[in-house]
Amino acid sequence: MSMLSSLLGNAVLSGAVLALAGQGELLAERVGVLNLGVEGLLALGGVTAIATVAAGHDPLLGLLAAVGVGAAVGCLFAAATVLARASQVLCGIALTTGGLGLAATLGRPYAGQPAAATFQPIDIPLLDRLPVLGPALFHQSAPVYVAFLVLPLALQLLLFHTRHGLVLRAIGENPAACDAAGIPVVALRFAYVALGAAIAAAAGADLTLAFVPSWSDGVTAGRGWIAVALVIFAGYRPWRIAVGAFLFGLVNALGYLAQARDWGVAPAFLSMLPYLATILFMVLPALSARSRPATTAPAALGLPYYRDQR
Amino acid sequence: MTWTIQRIPEISGPSRIAAYLTAGGAAVAVAGLILRLLGLHPLELGGVVLRDSLGSRYGIEDLLLLAAPLVTCGLSVAVMLRVGLWNIGADGQFFVGAACAAGVGLYGPAWPVLPMLLLMAAAALAGGAAWIAVPALARLTLGTSEIITTLLLNFVARLGVDYLATGPWRDQRSSVTAQSPRVPVPIPRLPHDWHLGRVHWGVFAVLALAVLLALAFRLTHWGYELRICGANRHAAAYAGMKVRRRLGEAMLLSGAIAGLGGMLELAGTVHRLESGLSNGYGYVGIVIAVLAAASPIGCVVTGLLMALVLSAGTALQADGVPSSAAMALTGLILLFAAVGERLAHYRLAVLRPRASGAAG
Repeated sequence: MSMLSSLLGNAVLSGAVLALAGQGELLAERVGVLNLGVEGLLALGGVTAIATVAAGHDPLLGLLAAVGVGAAVGCLFAAATVLARASQVLCGIALTTGGLGLAATLGRPYAGQPAAATFQPIDIPLLDRLPVLGPALFHQSAPVYVAFLVLPLALQLLLFHTRHGLVLRAIGENPAACDAAGIPVVALRFAYVALGAAIAAAAGADLTLAFVPSWSDGVTAGRGWIAVALVIFAGYRPWRIAVGAFLFGLVNALGYLAQARDWGVAPAFLSMLPYLATILFMVLPALSARSRPATTAPAALGLPYYRDQR
Repeated sequence: MTWTIQRIPEISGPSRIAAYLTAGGAAVAVAGLILRLLGLHPLELGGVVLRDSLGSRYGIEDLLLLAAPLVTCGLSVAVMLRVGLWNIGADGQFFVGAACAAGVGLYGPAWPVLPMLLLMAAAALAGGAAWIAVPALARLTLGTSEIITTLLLNFVARLGVDYLATGPWRDQRSSVTAQSPRVPVPIPRLPHDWHLGRVHWGVFAVLALAVLLALAFRLTHWGYELRICGANRHAAAYAGMKVRRRLGEAMLLSGAIAGLGGMLELAGTVHRLESGLSNGYGYVGIVIAVLAAASPIGCVVTGLLMALVLSAGTALQADGVPSSAAMALTGLILLFAAVGERLAHYRLAVLRPRASGAAG
């Protein structure tokens, strides 16, 4: 495999985690709930998947288990933020801290060991024979295709081409008006926050069953937070999240490449790249976005909804 | 006569703190229940933790030494919480402060101890403030979420300290390859006849800082403006306050305080720069500041409580429960506190049918 091909392949592989987590976060944010617990969900999903494949030896089973745990934890988070209307920032930080701590505690028996079963690459017929791009983009595991093609397409259709999607976006913009129109604001918020959390946990399974593939303490390495930043960077659009995730993945892959080829930069500085790039990506669109009001956050993002305060 | 649940839009400070403490206690109780289900004995364990930490001189020393960095990080988060902003990056500022202090201590001038410590503190304050400068600038000019930027810089800071401790500043004489040489300027310990032999004066520096902040918040015009900026930025701007300036000051001060915490931990307790310097202290600081409702004196109390909780995690390690369980408990406490604070806005009230004919 050529250098460029492996660079692109790595970018897609590491970007897939961010793409999945970002799409999950997008669902929650579109209905007006800021979920800062993505990092904790990644860790919980990752450790669930590893523990499941250790017993069952089927990566799909691991992914499904992670989705189940993510949905359950998402329901807990939604109960706190949507039903009890507690501070979304606080609950998100609590989910991150608690999720990381719990995952590290539960994952200790599996730490450092290779995953018992991993997602195997699937070749897309014909396309995988393309020079450079073939091995990079069309010789990937199933979660990668879901992250970059299936999920963005599904969310794009759901959010922007169905009546239900219009309702969801409206809840994120003006829940009071939706409530007045007879839309079950609280129920829909609850459902989509839980669904988003399930997708974020699936990203954790992708991390430990396809990308790394193993579990160790701190394996999430801030990817959940990068995913939150990615949603802002992408202007809350599914396709832009996929493209942004590829960009972030490319930064990651450049770091690996430099490390592997020994370009003379200390590994610590290369490891800093994704975080610094994220900050840069957050600042850059803001510098130029004054003319693009369409990419601003949902108006009710982060605000709990009280019917009596309409 | 019917019962009804009423929502109160604003609750008083004391009832908020009561809600937080109740919620924190409930979280600890839930954790105890989980431990019981795992076949451990939480009540005995609690007894052991209390006896080990409060019942012996060594325990109290350990508790104070652990509480010092925790309270400092709590104060750091609290300063920004006063103006309604979140400092999730106290951990990173803590590391940068420690690195600056270590740099001065290892490679700086050979002055006597006291001026040297002051120089190290100044370097740590500047380093911590510098570390939050970019998030502050992005927040105040572009509105970029300070939550994410401060957090991401934690990873950068830890990697930077890792680089220094394993690379250029590595201790060449030691076989441990991930720490710097011993920083030759330790913070003096308390007088011997106080019977707290291992506790250093930095603990009192933290206490003094808390009192100083409390006085500044309560008595000065600056503290008043911070509070108004936190309560309602538009009202503050309408009243002619320099909102952006106050927010910037709060952010820089917050970073500087966390940096100072790193210097105190380095020069007082650990004495070497290493990436294990903070065990997630910055994140625990968030819990401390929130539970204290951003009151500096409150942070001292909740900081001591959280030190107790974390030392329970250490005690659990003897039973085979990893220390990361304490972090899970921290998250649980924070979640309960957030929900408890909301629930405190509700009260059960009795509705009596209005007597007929009574004047309205």
